[in-house]
Parts: sequence; C-alpha cells; structure tokens
Amino acid sequence: MQDKQFMKEMLTDSAQAYKQGRMDRRTFLALCGASGVALTAVMAGDAEAAADHVVMWNWGGQSEECHGSAIGDAFTASTGKGLRFDTSGPLEGKIKEMVESGNVTADVADADLFNAVSLGPTGHLEPIDYSVVSKDKTLPGYALEYGVSVILYGYAFVYDTEAYGDNPPQNWADFFDTAKFPGMRSLYKWANGSLEAALMADGVAGDALYPLDMDRALAKIKSIKDDSLYWGSGSEAHSMCVNGEVSLGMVWQNRGRNIENDTDGRYKLVNNQALAMPGAYIVPKGNPAGAAAMQFIATAQELPAQLALLDCLGMTPSNPAAFGQIPEDQQPYAITSAMNIDKIVYNDPTWWGENGGDAVNAFLDAIS
Amino acid sequence: MNALRKHIHPGWLIIAPLLVMVMALYLGPILNILWLSVTDPEPGFGNYAKLGESDALIRILWTTVRICIITTVFSVTLGYSIAYAMMHCHQRQKNYMLTLLLVSFWISILVRTFSWLMLLGRRGLVNVALEDIGLIAEPIAFMRNELGVLIGMIHYMIPYAVLPLLVSMQAIDQRVMDASRNLGASGSQTFLRIYLPLTKPGLVASTLLVFILSLGFYVTPAVLGGGKVLMVAEYISVQLLVTLQWGTAAMLAALMLFGVLAMLWIMSRFMKLSTVFGGAAR
Repeated sequence: MQDKQFMKEMLTDSAQAYKQGRMDRRTFLALCGASGVALTAVMAGDAEAAADHVVMWNWGGQSEECHGSAIGDAFTASTGKGLRFDTSGPLEGKIKEMVESGNVTADVADADLFNAVSLGPTGHLEPIDYSVVSKDKTLPGYALEYGVSVILYGYAFVYDTEAYGDNPPQNWADFFDTAKFPGMRSLYKWANGSLEAALMADGVAGDALYPLDMDRALAKIKSIKDDSLYWGSGSEAHSMCVNGEVSLGMVWQNRGRNIENDTDGRYKLVNNQALAMPGAYIVPKGNPAGAAAMQFIATAQELPAQLALLDCLGMTPSNPAAFGQIPEDQQPYAITSAMNIDKIVYNDPTWWGENGGDAVNAFLDAIS
Repeated sequence: MNALRKHIHPGWLIIAPLLVMVMALYLGPILNILWLSVTDPEPGFGNYAKLGESDALIRILWTTVRICIITTVFSVTLGYSIAYAMMHCHQRQKNYMLTLLLVSFWISILVRTFSWLMLLGRRGLVNVALEDIGLIAEPIAFMRNELGVLIGMIHYMIPYAVLPLLVSMQAIDQRVMDASRNLGASGSQTFLRIYLPLTKPGLVASTLLVFILSLGFYVTPAVLGGGKVLMVAEYISVQLLVTLQWGTAAMLAALMLFGVLAMLWIMSRFMKLSTVFGGAAR
C-alpha cells in the first residue's frame, strides 16, 4: 500500500510539472507507465485530463471532428486548454456508472436536457455555473440547474416523393394515416418523439402535449404497428430510408439533409410539427478539469460555435441570437430558422426527466 | 508450514493466482449483480415480484426462450448434417469445409447481420430478383421481423453447433457401424440405433452451447427484428443505460444465470455431464 501512495504522489507531482511545462510529455507518460499496471492506467488518464485538457464525451462519428472545429479551436484560443474526446456515447446509465465508480474521466457530456433533470437531483452532475454560462444564450426554459441546452435537434419526418408525390403528407396526422398514405413507416424505438407525434396525430395541440397522455399515445402507436418499423440509432433511421424499407420515416432533423442527398431528392424532409429536443451539455460530478468545463460550455453558446455546429453537424442553434443568422441554404433544415420556427413544438425536459423511464418501458411493451 | 502441506497439496499454490483472479474478476461482479437485484431501488424481493405483476416481462422472457429453442433446433439439426458430411467426405474436402467454418468465426456479427439485410431486405438482392422475373408482386418480408431474427441467429450459431458434433463423431470407432451392417441392420437402422446414440454427448454439448449463447443475443434481434422482437439482452441494456432501473436489469440477469444453471442441473440428472465436456463416460 505504501508503494501505491508513493506512486500516486509521484504521479500527481509529475502531472503538475507537466502542466507547468517543467516536464515534457514523453517523460511524464514514461513515468506513468513505469510506476505500475492497473493503478496507473487509471491515474494516467486522470492526471493528464487534469493537466491541460477538457474531455468531451460525445457520440463519435462526425461529431468528433465537428465539435473540435466548431467549439474546440475557439476554446483553446481563449483558454489555452485542449479538447479531447471520449466517443463512447454518454447514455444516462453510463454517466451514473462513471460517477458512482469514482473514476470520472469526462468533463462535458453531449446529452439530452432531460438527463439533467433525472441525474442532477441524485447527485450525479455538477450544477451549471451561470456566472460563466449564459441563460440568455439559450431558449427560455432550457437553462436548468444541472444542464443547459446548447443545440436543438428535432423529431421530424421524411417521405418518399415517388410514393406520395402529388399529395404529400404534411403533418403527424398524415404520418399515422395508413389509409391515405399506405406503406411502411419508421419510428424511434425508445419512445422519445414517437409519443409526442402520436398525440399530435390524434389531435392534441402542440402546446398542450405535457403531461403526456400515455394511454392515448400508445393506442395510436399500436394502431399502425403492423405498418411500422422502429429504429434505435440515427444511422439505422437513415438506412431504413435510403434502402427503401420505409416510405415515411421519422428521423432526427439533422439527418434530413443527408437523407435527401443520399436518395437524390427522392425522400423529402417535413419540419412541420417537428418536436424540438434540447440537446444539452452536462457535467459529471467531480469532473477532472473542474471549472474549465463551464468555460467550454460558454464557448459553445457563442454565435460562431452555434453556426459552425449547424454547418458541420446539422444541429440547430439554441441561442436565439443565432436564429436570424441561419444561412439561406440551411433554412429548410434548421428547425429554428425563420421558415420553420412558427411550426415546431417544444419538448418538456422536466416531464421526460421525471417519467422517461416508465414511458420507455411502456412504449417497448406496446411495440414488441 | 509442514502441517499446512499435509492438508493442502503444493500444486494449489501454483494455480492460486489463477483462482484468485477468477474469484476477483468473475465471482465478484456476479455477486454484485445478485446483490443489486435485491437492493435496488429498495431492499427486498420487489424486483422478482415484478415477474408476477408485469405481463411485459413475462412476454419478453417467453419471446427469448421461444426464439432460442427454435434457433437451437435448427442450428443443431443443420449442424449435425454438416458435421456428418464433413466426417464422410474426402480429407481434402473436409479441410475446405473446416476452413470455411472457421473463417465464419472471424467475421464480425455486425457484418453478418447487415449482410442479411442486403440479401433479404425489402429491396435486397433476393426480393428484387424475384420481382424482376415476375415471381412475386410485393417484396417478401424476410427481415425486420421474427423470421429475420431467426435467420440471422441460426446462421450465426451453426458453426458453434458443428464443432462439438464433429469432435464427438470423430471419436466414434467406424468398425462399430461395419459390425452393425455385418449383422444385418439396414443403413437407417445403423444410423438410428448405433450412430445417433453414440453422438448423443456431442448433441447435448452443441444444444447446450447454442441455447446458452442464443440467450444473450443482442445485436441480431435489435437490427433484424425491426424493433418489434425484444429479447432479454436488449431489454437489460435498456434498463441499464436508458431507464436506469438497474434492479430490474440485475434481476433479469440473475434469472438468466439461474435458468442456465437449472438447465445444466436437469441435464446432469439424465446423463454424466463430464462426457459432454470431453470427459470419459464411466
């Protein structure tokens, strides 16, 4: 045990030396390597993150490159700290596990705002420091104690123009109308968005959705079950459309443009009644880089980052100041553009944070 | 020290590190899961009681068991014919077949799953071809349903079924069959009364292997089932990662563990399990 203590101290010292530039990276890593096996694998990660990086926990794919160019570069320029990625996807259970294991290796998680509602009060998240992060640079109601919405994504749908070219579907009621629009359709497997769409199709007004009437929503979902497939990831939703498996596909709005391009315009995105989902940055409790995480979030709220995220990932800005600056060619795809903003409805993260688990299970029960 | 040696064979010292590692890395987490299943969200057997209250859980378990049984029956039957063919062809052909069988182990389950979508999907090779030659008007729904899951799982499981069968067939003395024919039994009599019983340990081994591995299938049902075929592994993952009902997840995991152990115990009542795992039948 004495050895462990010694190694820990040595590593902490050398991490500080490395941070202050008294030790080069290679020596530091060599020390980490030389001082043990299991212990150091963990310690090296910790020490290095503490030294001069913020670790962003996102979903991989394009987002690694896009978060780097849209937020990371500006963040490094203003704070001198680098940006690293963990691309394993910060699902709620993984965040909980990471915090409870006491080995927190990520600083900012690219999650949903409802995660902030369910994980915040249970002590798994750092509160957002609103002296650094701005409440005005997001939509009202989307700046919560443990998370702030940085981007919006939407549950919208695409349709096959060859199947319904003359009289295209225009809203969720059409999406659920299998008599008028025959063909397979796809919905999101984990309830989110699917429940809201079902209620709107059943005649509930977009601003009166919450609290969700589960029985009514599930009855509507079941009514088209024989004509439905369910996807669990963005790429699956994408391939169901591109491979022609469905004629009507619920998709994340930021995928809409790619689907239109990949099918040479055969599938077309409809953003009417799109459900705006607040994508939020949340900070796991005890994150290694400490307060730097808040500076990172503040950087992501700024206009250049907001517009760059739209350009690179198709994620819609949540900073109202950016709405007016959405470029012409992105107008149809961004849900808060002047063209779409009056037609969309808003997700209630508090309802989902409090009832999401039961809603997902009830939904899975209904579709399986 | 000498007193200790009397009771503990020094050989144990050599394998002690392994034992300790297995305990720490394997038994520890399993006990943790069992513990979680009776403590989260509150102490007691509330999670197990859910089995009685929730139709959904029972349905998911039944779907899982049903799919696993069908998968096992088809994989072992097909695997038996493949192993039989491998035993009775030329050495050269046998080597080819063995190579192909092993190669299929090296291909990722994701690749194999998505290949089925390309072949049998709504606009896959087979459906498009059948439509083009005018055999069908509407695409046949091979995929994104239970049939799709079964096709994917059976395909994945066949190599696992073949190997234990092959080992057990190789151990059979071919002269026994000659003797049977010599004594006047027909070919099918020889097969049913001599060959099949002799391969029983292999059959049981491959049935157990395929069934137990099938219970944990996750990717194939998730992709080929189109969201409508929910098996226990995927449900456990949703409870862990999305709904945070770790107690329910742990309960289901424990249930699967006990189910498998119970199955092994029942089998052991009828036969000596060590013969299945390569021991001598005594």
